[in-house]
Amino acid sequence: MTPRRQLADTLAIGAILAVAVVALILLVAPSIVVVIISFDTRAYVSFPPVGFTLDWYAKVFEETALVEAMLNSLQVGITVTGLCILLGVPTALVCVRGRFPGTTALSVFVLVPHMVPGIVLGVAVLFAGALVGVGPSIYLQSLSIAVFVLAVMVRTVMSRLQRLDPALEEASANLGASPFQTLATVTFPLLLPAILAGAVFTFVEGFDNLSVAIFTHGFRDRPLPVELLALVQTTNTPLVAAVSGVQIVLAIVALVIVAATIGLDRVNE
Amino acid sequence: MSSATALPPRGMLRIATDATLDKLLSGRGIWPAVPAIVVLAAVAVIPFGILLSLGFSDIAVERGAIISQTFTLDYVRTALADPLTFTVFQRSMVLALSTMLLCLFFGYPVAYLFLIGGPWVRRLILVLTIAPLLTSGIVRTYAWLVILGGRGLVNNTLIEIGLIERPLRIINTHWAVLIGMAQIHLPVMILPLIAVMSRHDRRLDEASANLGASRLGTLVNVILPLSVPGIGTGAALVFTISYTTFVVPQLLGGGNYLNAATMIYEQVVYSLEWSKGSVSSMILMATCLVVLVFIALITNHFTRWTKGREA
Repeated sequence: MTPRRQLADTLAIGAILAVAVVALILLVAPSIVVVIISFDTRAYVSFPPVGFTLDWYAKVFEETALVEAMLNSLQVGITVTGLCILLGVPTALVCVRGRFPGTTALSVFVLVPHMVPGIVLGVAVLFAGALVGVGPSIYLQSLSIAVFVLAVMVRTVMSRLQRLDPALEEASANLGASPFQTLATVTFPLLLPAILAGAVFTFVEGFDNLSVAIFTHGFRDRPLPVELLALVQTTNTPLVAAVSGVQIVLAIVALVIVAATIGLDRVNE
Repeated sequence: MSSATALPPRGMLRIATDATLDKLLSGRGIWPAVPAIVVLAAVAVIPFGILLSLGFSDIAVERGAIISQTFTLDYVRTALADPLTFTVFQRSMVLALSTMLLCLFFGYPVAYLFLIGGPWVRRLILVLTIAPLLTSGIVRTYAWLVILGGRGLVNNTLIEIGLIERPLRIINTHWAVLIGMAQIHLPVMILPLIAVMSRHDRRLDEASANLGASRLGTLVNVILPLSVPGIGTGAALVFTISYTTFVVPQLLGGGNYLNAATMIYEQVVYSLEWSKGSVSSMILMATCLVVLVFIALITNHFTRWTKGREA
């Protein structure tokens, strides 16, 4: 390579890597700004902050509406996770182990609700409920979000199942265990990390989902995203930043759990 | 059940139960998946059918329940003739496509850095990409209110260095929505790209270098063509969520900014025009599908060497 071509090459690659660094900073910078703002002493949102206080965090837990919304979302998150484990793990098993034509069709079918935009699913569930006399409620919300994210649980567990060493289960069968015993004592424990990771994703969706929730939540049981959306539009104090700070801490906990269970590089599958 | 006979003898009933359990739960038959199929049918498939039917119906709603339904094409006709429909969907489309391109512009270099980086760089990129996905969308949108707001980071900095005297109005503009959306959906573009890169065989790059290609040449002629499937997946995902998102336009676009999602929300929740909302939802799905097919065709056209081997 001529020196001139080499220089041009270095410059081009340098520019591409510079864009990459900017992108990586952009990914986290906004969240950091919010956390910084949440400690500001002023009663309006402005950057940079002028003081340090934890008052806004105390206020978050004094606001009954916010605390109730958090508890509602906690309930939704847990229900969604429970439903996804109960419905998703057996389905993943069938998708991978099924000995009948149509397992592929089944795994595609499970993905469908996740492919549909959340608001369309929310509207559809609201209308269908109205037709049979089931109004919006925390239960309808939980059920529809569970259907929306079931695919995540199924796919996480499927990917783990496909990588399991078949020798382990064969050994169990050779030692005299029935298929069910093998499932309960060998396969299931091996699947636990994937189930836990899937649980984190489905819980986060249950806790944070807005697109499905705005149409299906109960009017008296407002979940946190709905409450927060209203709060962002009506208040200009760092209170919202403090709620965000709490949510960011939860996200970090979720991240650590995912990293410890399936590993971050497996999130894609 | 040949394996059951190897177990120590127990009561007949117990063995029968075991055999039934084996049959039901072994995962060979369809039975374990039946509850999920039933729930998905009841809470997704049938509701979609109902949504479709409401778009073609005149309905009467009383206290949140539909009490009568008669067939009509009026709502479809009105929606298609309404210039507002066209404006709103065109706006959403332009916004989603530009978000997609911006995400590709910022996302691809990250994927390239992932490819050439060591384990620590890779781990850092994974953490920075996955952490936002676990954070609430409202929180991430709110961050942009803080940054772009009247007394936010950008305006205060510009005033501080004397470039402007009064705060610029950035929030409640198309640009605020675009910036926020591109940043918020960036991880969704990066993840599939990283997936392709982690399967990429670096020996191909060495071969390319040995044959005299520059690093840029290798990137353009070897790495880029091989990563087309990842680009297609990322583009499709980013397009879909950007085209149908509710939070970002609602918060950064201001009260009068209508995109497809905020329009559907207003029709369904505020003005209770459910038939209109159904028609809008259908247009949303149909137009989204058209673009997705288009993305798939382009992706397929540019996929080289690996056709049929990778999804």
